[in-house]
Amino acid sequence: MEVTIWAGWLGGLAIGLFVILHFWLLGKPAGCSTGYGNVCGFLCKNMRYYQEGEYEKRNNSKLWFLIGIPIGGLLSALSSPEPWHLSFDMGMYDSILPQSNAAKAVWLIFGGMLLGFGARLAGACTTGHALVGGAMLNPPSLLAGVVFFMSAFITTRLFFGT
Amino acid sequence: MSTDKNQHELPSSQSFKLTAISFVHAYRVNIIGLFMGVMFGFLMSRAGATTFDFHAKMFLFENLQLMQVIGTAVVVSMIGVFLLKKYQINSVTTGMPVDFVKKPYQQGLIAGAFLFGIGWGMTAACPGTVPAMLGEGKISAIFTLTGLLLGTMAFGVLQSFIANKGSITDTL
Repeated sequence: MEVTIWAGWLGGLAIGLFVILHFWLLGKPAGCSTGYGNVCGFLCKNMRYYQEGEYEKRNNSKLWFLIGIPIGGLLSALSSPEPWHLSFDMGMYDSILPQSNAAKAVWLIFGGMLLGFGARLAGACTTGHALVGGAMLNPPSLLAGVVFFMSAFITTRLFFGT
Repeated sequence: MSTDKNQHELPSSQSFKLTAISFVHAYRVNIIGLFMGVMFGFLMSRAGATTFDFHAKMFLFENLQLMQVIGTAVVVSMIGVFLLKKYQINSVTTGMPVDFVKKPYQQGLIAGAFLFGIGWGMTAACPGTVPAMLGEGKISAIFTLTGLLLGTMAFGVLQSFIANKGSITDTL
């Protein structure tokens, strides 16, 4: 699925304005990965961690934020020249990922687990730490952002053998 | 009795209007959250964060599209945060000054960030872009999303296990 891509500076400007708008409208920093905790709270009623503290009220704006993202992706795809269609094509990654679809799926689930577990262990994801935390110049967020990039850099370099 | 009851009934159009207004008011935070999510997904897609190759090319220094995006976004929002703080702007939904709550340093931050980076390298996605990829019709997002939920759940199991002092009851 090829979508229309804006120039880097324009995309960055729009996302920067989005972060400000989020602060102004909702009065708190934007974040993505915490919403997954809300979903887990709904899925596992007995799991203490996602029923207490910041997850006590699970039907909140963070959950609805997460629900909105696929709609945004759909709108973006529908407004692109290429018609919307399902695809399992991963571009450059197809050359380094397992060739069979089942093995590819297992690879992605494992990678996703690292994302989910790592995001909670670090406290936030790329949005919460690198983007919004970076904008607030929060030292732990800057540290996390640097480690995110370093670790992904090393992993990608190893995969592509350069 | 029936006349008494009728006195309290409004014309259906007005009744609908009032219901709609109270609904929007009661759920305004969630509605704004949904709207912001739609906007975020759209912008992630337009910025190229949902295109796999941009992730690989960024780390291989072949195309710095995403570097430009995040660099510009951080600088723009930094100016915005500065202005919001300087003029003490009140938030629309809470009516109070914007809460610039900062994520604290927590134990395991570096280890978590390291694992997250490996996941990023493996899936060319992050928790914010996966749902947008799903909307674009990328099948890989289904699996990454499943993994994301499992990983988040695993953390919850671990934390509940620790909070319960090593008892496995009430962890799942």
